[in-house]
Amino acid sequence: MKKAIARGWGVGLAATVALALAGCAGSNGGGGSVSGDNYDGPKVEITFWHGWTGGAAPTIVPKLIEEFNSEHDNIVVKNVPQEWADIAAKMPLAIKAGKGPDVAVLHGDDLATYAAQKLLLPADDIVKNLGYSADDFPPGVYDKGNYDGSQYAVPWSVTPLGLFVNKDVLSKAGITEIPADKDGYVAALDALKGAGVQGEWVDGYVFTGTFEFESLVWQFGGDLYNKDVTEATFNSDAGVQALTWMTDLVKNGYSPANVAQDGNIKALLAGETAFNWNGVWQTTNTAFGDLDWAAAPVPQIGTEKAVWSSSTHWVFPANKGQSDDKTAAAATFVKWMNDHSLAWAETGELPAANTVREDPELLSTYPALEPFIDELDYAHYETVSPGINEANALITTAINEALTGKKTPKEALDDAKKKADAILEQNKAKYGG
Amino acid sequence: MAADIADAVAVPTERASARSGGRPGSGRRPVARRRRTLIAYLFLAPFLILFGTFVIAPAIFGLWISVTDWSPFRDTQNFVGLTNYLNLFTPGSTTFDDFWQSMGATAIFVVASVPFLVVVPLFVAVLLNRRLKGATVFRTVFFAPYVLGVAIVGVIWSYIFDTQSGILNHVLGLLGLPDDIPWVVDVPWVWVSLVGVTVWWTAGLNTVIFLAGMKGINGDLYEAASLDGAGAWRSFWSVTIPGLRPVMLFITTTTILASANMFGQSYLLTAGGPGNATRTAIMYIADQGLSQNNMAPAAAMSYILFAILAVISVINFRLQRERSEKGAS
Repeated sequence: MKKAIARGWGVGLAATVALALAGCAGSNGGGGSVSGDNYDGPKVEITFWHGWTGGAAPTIVPKLIEEFNSEHDNIVVKNVPQEWADIAAKMPLAIKAGKGPDVAVLHGDDLATYAAQKLLLPADDIVKNLGYSADDFPPGVYDKGNYDGSQYAVPWSVTPLGLFVNKDVLSKAGITEIPADKDGYVAALDALKGAGVQGEWVDGYVFTGTFEFESLVWQFGGDLYNKDVTEATFNSDAGVQALTWMTDLVKNGYSPANVAQDGNIKALLAGETAFNWNGVWQTTNTAFGDLDWAAAPVPQIGTEKAVWSSSTHWVFPANKGQSDDKTAAAATFVKWMNDHSLAWAETGELPAANTVREDPELLSTYPALEPFIDELDYAHYETVSPGINEANALITTAINEALTGKKTPKEALDDAKKKADAILEQNKAKYGG
Repeated sequence: MAADIADAVAVPTERASARSGGRPGSGRRPVARRRRTLIAYLFLAPFLILFGTFVIAPAIFGLWISVTDWSPFRDTQNFVGLTNYLNLFTPGSTTFDDFWQSMGATAIFVVASVPFLVVVPLFVAVLLNRRLKGATVFRTVFFAPYVLGVAIVGVIWSYIFDTQSGILNHVLGLLGLPDDIPWVVDVPWVWVSLVGVTVWWTAGLNTVIFLAGMKGINGDLYEAASLDGAGAWRSFWSVTIPGLRPVMLFITTTTILASANMFGQSYLLTAGGPGNATRTAIMYIADQGLSQNNMAPAAAMSYILFAILAVISVINFRLQRERSEKGAS
């Protein structure tokens, strides 16, 4: 009972406890001089926070760290895995209190939010000393670590969307080739419909309706936000075409209405549908088992090739009183990890370092990754702007409203744009952008 | 409010002890009384310290946040008076529509779920209270879901509720009923699902409390009732229900609070959808305060929610206490 009553005091109050602890937060460290890619200072122990708690990561990460530690006499890396949500809740406060990690991995869409709060060290010098430049990574991803003229991050992995295909179901409609363009895709959906199969189940949730919508917006030549992220543009013609394409899938009978969260990947696995737009991480889904499946680049529905991808990045937290030695050691660790990231493909993510991805061993070990690697030439990554996720959430709401028939695609996107613009404005005041 | 509830539950025993024990301590010397008080506070201290640290202090701090333009990114915070509260009552502000929509969703859920969460457990408790073979087994069965975490509840029911491949629609199809009901995707079904899951999940707790209340009703009363010619129905209304009044007050109060604070079910099952139709106030407050760093408006929202819940609880308490006093006289 006490629990129920205590809850009555409101979640906001719980948050204030956390804030109270942060009350003592001070300013943060400066850039700090960091030596080259091999740390040669006194022996240090560095802590590493990341959110890889599922899949193959819990065995791979400790193995890599153990190997790194044994190769480096003067660096001991302490591995601190925890849920992403816990990292989001704890890390800003921990960094302000000087108790954060020396190195961490963050998702691309969080980088600007952290950088704007001055929680990260500008890493221009670190990156230069490690010898990294944008050319060492897939096009577009390195710049996602750039905020307000400084580089804050080194890419670690990229995870594009792709087309997952149940080949058994596809062959029912007499199709052997996976379609790559709009005409082929519609022809396949029609043939499947003729065979009594709804070919692509479209959903109105982040996973993966939102990713599909964003891919389509870019394919139709639009973008989610304007260049300096002061205005939402996902309600442009391109956006309306993208969302209409999705609602038409239902209208034309290619998709059932009211697909629940994850309903489409379940249906693909159960042999009830042929196509699912889903992330590269699904390649490690053990449920595929002995299903006859394949992955391909997402078909080009719009006027140009484009696909959604997210990314993860190394960052160097600006702990209160951060030691330069530790940051230098962390930089050495980052470089070493990127160089040894081939095994990371085991987790269903693509290593960001070109040298690793171009190593023939990668595809011979993980052949299913090939279509996703091919997509990287035209992949779009998440928008960089502090607090952007609040605006992004409105995109999902719009898709959901359109797919459940509450609003037309245009109405839904226009409404979302109006709110998103207010939030961007608010973010500007909030983060001083 | 907590004290009120404790009173309400403890009424029978306290009344009894007050009667039998006379006026405790009245004949003793003041020093001894003072020492007794001191000892009592000493025993209460551990709880009070925790309560003060984790409930009172954050509550006061939250009140402070709600009158500032609090930002975790600045070193100093500015006092802005009631701006955050006024914004919540100003149509067109960034939070107005969403906040009141989420309050509306919360109200729908409370109104739809509380009657079931009171009546169903009462009914089950009446059945279990008979000298039934295997009553203990049933009691365990009804209580079992309550021990599950909301994450598990969410996963289990998302398999059952899936529109196309869910078990529920499959079974309905076998019975010749519509098999494409969007249980967790579209209104009004989302409300049916959320209420259903919540009843399944938490009814066991209320059942056990009702049962405990029924065990406390003097068996002689039933005997007297039956001698007066009362049937099962009549003795339920005239003996069981009046006997359960303090328990009923407790259950309705805590159930309303729990339903008003619903979060996990809609967060996991419907993701707040369709659109934001099932985004509850707590979901919105948590999102604003914890995810979007809009601490100050979120704190103001939680105080408005708190005020509304406090008023509802007081009204509920007054209504039922009056009835219970009338019933007793």
